[in-house]
Amino acid sequence: MLNEVKEAITAPLEVAKAMGITLKQFLRGPVTNQFPDEPAQVYPRFRGRHALKRYENGLERCIGCALCAAACPTECIYVEAAENTDEDRRSPGERYAKIYDINMLRCIFCGYCAEACPTEAVVLEHDFTLAEYDRWDAVYSKEQLLEPNNPEYLVVRDDEVFVKADTWSSK
Amino acid sequence: MSDQVTLTIDGKTVTVPKGTLIVEAAKQIEQEIPVFCYHGKLSQVGMCRMCLVEVGTPMFDRATREPVLDENGVQKIGFFPKPMTACTTPVSEGMVVKVDSGAALDDRKAVLEFLLTSHPLDCPVCDKGGECPLQDLTMKHGSGISRFNYEEKQHFPKKYPLGDLIVLDMERCVICTRCIRFQSEIAHDPVLAIENRGRHAHIVSYSDPPFDSHYSGNATDVCPVGALTTKDFRFGARSWEMKNVPSICNHCGVGCNTVLGTRKGGSGTGQLKRVMPRQNETVNELWICDKGRFGHHFNESPNRLTTPLIRQDGQLVESTWADVLPFIGEKISSIKSANGSTALGGIAGARLSNEDLYLFQKLFRQIIGSNNIDHRVGLNANFEDTTAYTVGVGVGTDLSQVGKGSTILVIGSDLDQEAPILYIRVAGASVKRSAHVINIGGRRTKLDAQAQTSAYYQYGTASYLVLGILASVVAQGLVNQEWIDRHATGFSEITKLLQDFAPDSVADTTGVSSAEIEAIAKSYAEAENGIIIFGHEAGNDPALGAAIEALAAVTGHAGKPNNGVIAVLPHANSRGAADMGVVPNRLLGYLPLEGEAGLSAEQMLSGNSIKGMIIAGADPASESDTYRECLQNLDFLVVQDLFLTETAQLADVVLPAKAVAERDGTFTNLERRVQTFDVGIDSPLLAWSDWLILAAIAGQLGADWGYASADGVMAEITQEVPLYQNMAFENLVAPVSLDRQTDHYIYEGMSFTADVHEGIQWATVAENEQQKITLQLVVPENHTGSDEITLVTPRILYDGGRLLAETDVVQSHVFQTRALLSSVDAKKLGLNNGDSVTISQNGTAVNLPIQISRMLNEGTILIPRNIEGRPAERLVGSSDVHASVKVKKS
Ligand code: SF4
Ligand code: SF4
Ligand code: SF4
Ligand code: SF4
Ligand code: FES
Repeated sequence: MLNEVKEAITAPLEVAKAMGITLKQFLRGPVTNQFPDEPAQVYPRFRGRHALKRYENGLERCIGCALCAAACPTECIYVEAAENTDEDRRSPGERYAKIYDINMLRCIFCGYCAEACPTEAVVLEHDFTLAEYDRWDAVYSKEQLLEPNNPEYLVVRDDEVFVKADTWSSK
Repeated sequence: MSDQVTLTIDGKTVTVPKGTLIVEAAKQIEQEIPVFCYHGKLSQVGMCRMCLVEVGTPMFDRATREPVLDENGVQKIGFFPKPMTACTTPVSEGMVVKVDSGAALDDRKAVLEFLLTSHPLDCPVCDKGGECPLQDLTMKHGSGISRFNYEEKQHFPKKYPLGDLIVLDMERCVICTRCIRFQSEIAHDPVLAIENRGRHAHIVSYSDPPFDSHYSGNATDVCPVGALTTKDFRFGARSWEMKNVPSICNHCGVGCNTVLGTRKGGSGTGQLKRVMPRQNETVNELWICDKGRFGHHFNESPNRLTTPLIRQDGQLVESTWADVLPFIGEKISSIKSANGSTALGGIAGARLSNEDLYLFQKLFRQIIGSNNIDHRVGLNANFEDTTAYTVGVGVGTDLSQVGKGSTILVIGSDLDQEAPILYIRVAGASVKRSAHVINIGGRRTKLDAQAQTSAYYQYGTASYLVLGILASVVAQGLVNQEWIDRHATGFSEITKLLQDFAPDSVADTTGVSSAEIEAIAKSYAEAENGIIIFGHEAGNDPALGAAIEALAAVTGHAGKPNNGVIAVLPHANSRGAADMGVVPNRLLGYLPLEGEAGLSAEQMLSGNSIKGMIIAGADPASESDTYRECLQNLDFLVVQDLFLTETAQLADVVLPAKAVAERDGTFTNLERRVQTFDVGIDSPLLAWSDWLILAAIAGQLGADWGYASADGVMAEITQEVPLYQNMAFENLVAPVSLDRQTDHYIYEGMSFTADVHEGIQWATVAENEQQKITLQLVVPENHTGSDEITLVTPRILYDGGRLLAETDVVQSHVFQTRALLSSVDAKKLGLNNGDSVTISQNGTAVNLPIQISRMLNEGTILIPRNIEGRPAERLVGSSDVHASVKVKKS
């Protein structure tokens, strides 16, 4: 008896609350990102297409050590090294990568390669638009990776959001 | 006192022979002690301190010499106050060693911290990275941080060329002196040294040219860090990216076991990145020579034949297998029906595998019906050896064990040039293990420095000298009558003939005094083990082989391990070619040929009875103009090879063959050891293995052979050749992993342990109780001493061979065409280094610059075989070794 009375009072309140949320969303306007007409937003630590970095003086950071290839769980990196000469200097020190290929179809964007690199040469950047018409085109060469690649359709958000650990766990 | 000592290492008891070092004792119980400077094949120096352990010995009372007991009545162990180096401390009875104890671990950590004070730690760009003992030990025992000031690291040039094959990065060196000790103790080329002291110490080479050694690559193997690396491999791949494939070196008859470091490239095809030795104590121990290590670029040369070629309108044009094979079949059949099968002949180079050679003789003998086959061209000097069949070194022979009480007689061979690893082993037997090495030759060679006895004969008289030694053995009553009765017949007949060859009577001819001959005879006959190694420069007189065979037999030095004869044949599979009967006068497995013998290579190439030929892996046209002319006049010539050689350029059909790294097969080495090699890399798409090409040609001639693989061919050889009955592929290899072992602390040159005595030797007649050797002597060719100068044409390591020509890094080592002359003769003729001379013989004359050599005796001039322009072959012919020539200043 007492319960029924309680319900009679709370139920409409709950309904009103739910309708309130619906109303709020109804008024909020669409969230759909009109990519590629509008830029997509990615967080700074988003792991997308790799880039090979250079030093400020223009020399390549990569020394062709193949540690990235060794760390890669999918074996999608292929490195062949060669020796710098005074006439043809690509990187500081003795050694540079003559061939540096990444097969983007195989890559799982885990970032282990960047983690392994002793010179911080290979970095996973933000581009995720890696569709190709030919699967061989998905093997990116060193020349492609060395080019700066900051497409206009990407915006890096500056509000890096840290999710609190305790909110992950399903209680 | 017993010869065994029992000690305890980390609680485990081990019994080892007296004198064993703690490191070795620990290794036996798989408690490897970390080392850098210690190497099992080198002397101990105790330089790096990596192997520090705690050592204790049972305590005795100083006054009474009574054991000191603790309260439980057990003898107390007294530990030395300081740690000891396990690599220099021999074991003693009751010793207690702590390897994994706290103090030893602390010491190890401290030593590593010291070793790394100036280390660049550039593992990412270091060729040793991934297989570096310093890396391994630092990861396991290092401290992780250094208390030394980073700014004060000692710097050296990063890429110092220590010779033109080896690069030194002194910053990485831990001054263990392994490289220096290898060069002086094993290679006997003491060309490296340390200059300066302390932090300024660095490795230098004092030789000119620097690092002048045939073995320099091994120094990079024994170097426990990336201080010494090869220029050839430099940055070729990371060690973990390569797959190790077992192979056999194809550059000479020693048959060194190798690993091919292969890597799948971006395009999916395999690449051969480096060749390294594979341990086999009975063949090459841990070493290979630089020709074997660096001379592999022919495999992947862009000059390789990639498709069959056929002659159309005088030009060789590309074709297909489907077109050329029926054409070959037709041509051979038509020559056979028009001129008979004896108008067809074949030459198979002794670089082919046993399977190829077996099918080659089967094709000619069974399908074509001709005995005109031979393998003796190129470097061979028409030299036929059957001593290996009768008195070859016994099964189980291991030169790395031959030592005190053994005599090794080296006759007419410059081993350092002809069979480098055999040189290392013979020199080691002498220097390290006190075997009596007697080096007999026509000139001084490198082995003289390690041999206890040297003797020099006049070129052309080696057979007289051996007969003299034999006569002296008989005269001194040193024959092994019991052995002769059991294994040989004909002894009394030969003794009669020997009367003409008493040491006194051969002394004049040979130039070796009778006292020397008698001493040699005594040493060889009385030795417990006797080995005779004879080579190219002893000449190709049949009297020589017969005399050597008799000498081994009458002294009983045959038919048992570490006894017998080794003929130093030129090519990787010269032995196999003789075994497979690729000679005109013998069948498979040294069986006599019924009926008339065929023509030898020399006869085929100088007469005009041959109309059609198949030449596989040989290039006779480059050797002499007569040969070339003869080949030009053939009606039909098929050549199968890797390159468009001079012979191939004359061919009607050229077939692309696979190189050794691209296929499998077996080679038989000088000691008759049959060994297999594996497929390492991909071949050009249209290249076939030689055995497959031969089977396809046979197929065109109506044969139905149906071999599917090289081991299928070997399966048939095991049936057909009794000597090879155990040689099925699976018997020839030991199941061993060539993967890297990280807990492998005693790094001796390769990052895996593979001391397997792979390969099987076939047994000689002397080892067969059912067969007897018929002793026979041949009277040597008359030797007429002449006042003229003797031209001698030895084989050398870095010659102008086609395969070596494909390796750029060694080109500066290749012999520049010139003649070597003794200083006495040079003075007589008024010549200086670099002057040009005209050397003439029988109407042929060549002009060459000369170099004065102190290794030559008066009256000799030396031109190596198989060098640019082939002056040696032009002067002495391709089957002789020496000739009298006239030398004039030009
Ligand atoms: S992100 Fe991961 S999978 Fe992709 S290349 Fe790097 S290591 Fe390999
Ligand atoms: S990207 Fe980094 S890890 Fe990869 S090869 Fe270059 S330097 Fe080495
Ligand atoms: S020698 Fe060893 S520790 Fe030193 S840089 Fe090379 S790989 Fe690293
Ligand atoms: S170069 Fe290598 S082998 Fe030679 S002393 Fe230095 S570390 Fe030892
Ligand atoms: S001091 Fe013992 S291994 Fe170097």
